[in-house]
Amino acid sequence: MVPVFAHLTCSSTSQVLQTLDTSQSNRLFSNCPQGAMTPGIPIFSPMMPYGTGLTPQPIQNTNSLSILEEQQRQQQQQQQQQQQQQQQQQQQAAVAAVQQSTSQQATQGPSGQTPQLFHSQTLTTAPLPGTTPLYPSPMTPMTPITPATPASESSGIVPQLQNIVSTVNLGCKLDLKTIALRARNAEYNPKRFAAVIMRIREPRTTALIFSSGKMVCTGAKSEEQSRLAARKYARVVQKLGFPAKFLDFKIQNMVGSCDVKFPIRLEGLVLTHQQFSSYEPELFPGLIYRMIKPRIVLLIFVSGKVVLTGAKVRAEIYEAFENIYPILKGFRKTT
Amino acid sequence: MASTSRLDALPRVTCPNHPDAILVEDYRAGDMICPECGLVVGDRVIDVGSEWRTFSNDKATKDPSRVGDSQNPLLSDGDLSTMIGKGTGAASFDEFGNSKYQNRRTMSSSDRAMMNAFKEITTMADRINLPRNIVDRTNNLFKQVYEQKSLKGRANDAIASACLYIACRQEGVPRTFKEICAVSRISKKEIGRCFKLILKALETSVDLITTGDFMSRFCSNLCLPKQVQMAATHIARKAVELDLVPGRSPISVAEAAIYMASQASAEKRTQKEIGDIAGVADVTIRQSYRLIYPRAPDLFPTDFKFDTPVDKLPQL
Repeated sequence: MVPVFAHLTCSSTSQVLQTLDTSQSNRLFSNCPQGAMTPGIPIFSPMMPYGTGLTPQPIQNTNSLSILEEQQRQQQQQQQQQQQQQQQQQQQAAVAAVQQSTSQQATQGPSGQTPQLFHSQTLTTAPLPGTTPLYPSPMTPMTPITPATPASESSGIVPQLQNIVSTVNLGCKLDLKTIALRARNAEYNPKRFAAVIMRIREPRTTALIFSSGKMVCTGAKSEEQSRLAARKYARVVQKLGFPAKFLDFKIQNMVGSCDVKFPIRLEGLVLTHQQFSSYEPELFPGLIYRMIKPRIVLLIFVSGKVVLTGAKVRAEIYEAFENIYPILKGFRKTT
Repeated sequence: MASTSRLDALPRVTCPNHPDAILVEDYRAGDMICPECGLVVGDRVIDVGSEWRTFSNDKATKDPSRVGDSQNPLLSDGDLSTMIGKGTGAASFDEFGNSKYQNRRTMSSSDRAMMNAFKEITTMADRINLPRNIVDRTNNLFKQVYEQKSLKGRANDAIASACLYIACRQEGVPRTFKEICAVSRISKKEIGRCFKLILKALETSVDLITTGDFMSRFCSNLCLPKQVQMAATHIARKAVELDLVPGRSPISVAEAAIYMASQASAEKRTQKEIGDIAGVADVTIRQSYRLIYPRAPDLFPTDFKFDTPVDKLPQL
């Protein structure tokens, strides 16, 4: 079965992402309703398949980065739906006379007349809808635009963020003793460590507050939560009487984890990727893989669990996982 | 007695009749002889043997050798300096009996740390009876690391221990970290850290350890006969092939295999004994043993003589 879609791996360039971005947003709002109205011609799945109860999701996050991720993830979900749909529809293919276009954009109004095969990742300049071939079979391979490694689908697994470490400068010198005495949930042991350790319950985080006014906030599960928690700590310090500001908030480290759901042959992996891997069962049961691009350290375990750390932005974690997934699939344990 | 023939890169002397013949050196007589016709081509060749033979029970102060210790050219930076010896006559001592000229220090200040480390390496290797080739390899590794200066902040002993570990691995006879810990004052954690740093600094890598690397050493430390050792090797290898012990350290698997083999033979060993020898906790052996116990009949070699049959093996 020829995979009809050219699949986008997350290591594609940002340009690709941006063009996808714009085209996708167009499609979101133009393709769906009109395609449904055309009678008599069976419709290949547009962006939102009917009957699944899905509606185009409005973009919620304030972070511009996460918009990209959201869309990537949406694409991945849709691809899976696509493939399911495609399998169903190939059975009906003999009956259907389908007009197929090599790309699906031309997303302007009249596009609704020609139901277009949804192709999530082609970026060629769209031929005009009128020039679609008349007798395509569903098995006609699309011209892959992004070079796809054979049989590489995006894994469909999304690493979950487990910890975010961020720093912020409160901009004034602090008296740790008064903070420790007056604030709740604060501990200060100057002989052991020269900072106040403060905890808040929502979001569940811990902060180290130093006398220079700098603060480290750990334990949050998302960038927004980390920022919110840091602001809460700054407010606590402010309420204690210090002229606290919120300068240079920066996320220093992000940790994510996921499960590839199959056991992995670590010995094979260390043999082939010697310059990146370090596997010493005497020292640590997992393989430590230092990826160069993006610069992420992955801990890979025999059970199939993977921990990714060292990222400054969420996209690096996703990209690193998409890079490692085909490699791990190659070292799947067969028994 | 003819010594080994030297292959001259620039043949300065050749036999006039046989220019292609490789001359044989007879160092006792100081001759270079053509093997084809027996012509003595070069004579009065300087004897490079030692001038005197010294024995340990001779008066040690009267060592007539004028050349000193053998050089260590690969390691120290060429030891061609000389030292002023201790005085022998009465004039060299002042009124209190102290020698007047006391400068025997700072002979190689740049290499002092390195020589100290070599001494330490030799001591450590001696404790676990490592052969000279491993010690030489360790010295070489240490010299490379020391000259690179990328690990300059680390304790020299830690780097020396890690070099010893890497040398054992490279020679194909790995020692466990715990064994190196036992002869060194450095903690396992620090040795592990230095090990990873050295591999990165020298841009080398080492092979993965396998269960068979340790079998002969552990079994002979436990005084187990050869059949038990071979059986244990077979069990451990089969267990890894059948993937009964995913994610377990090869040491633990080897230990469990030794336990199973010894319990099935006449020479039984307890988990505690095996754990003491290998530096593995006996709960670890128990865990690995539980994983291989269900497939015990498949793991034994076919020609093994059971003293205790397979179904009577202890089940923990």
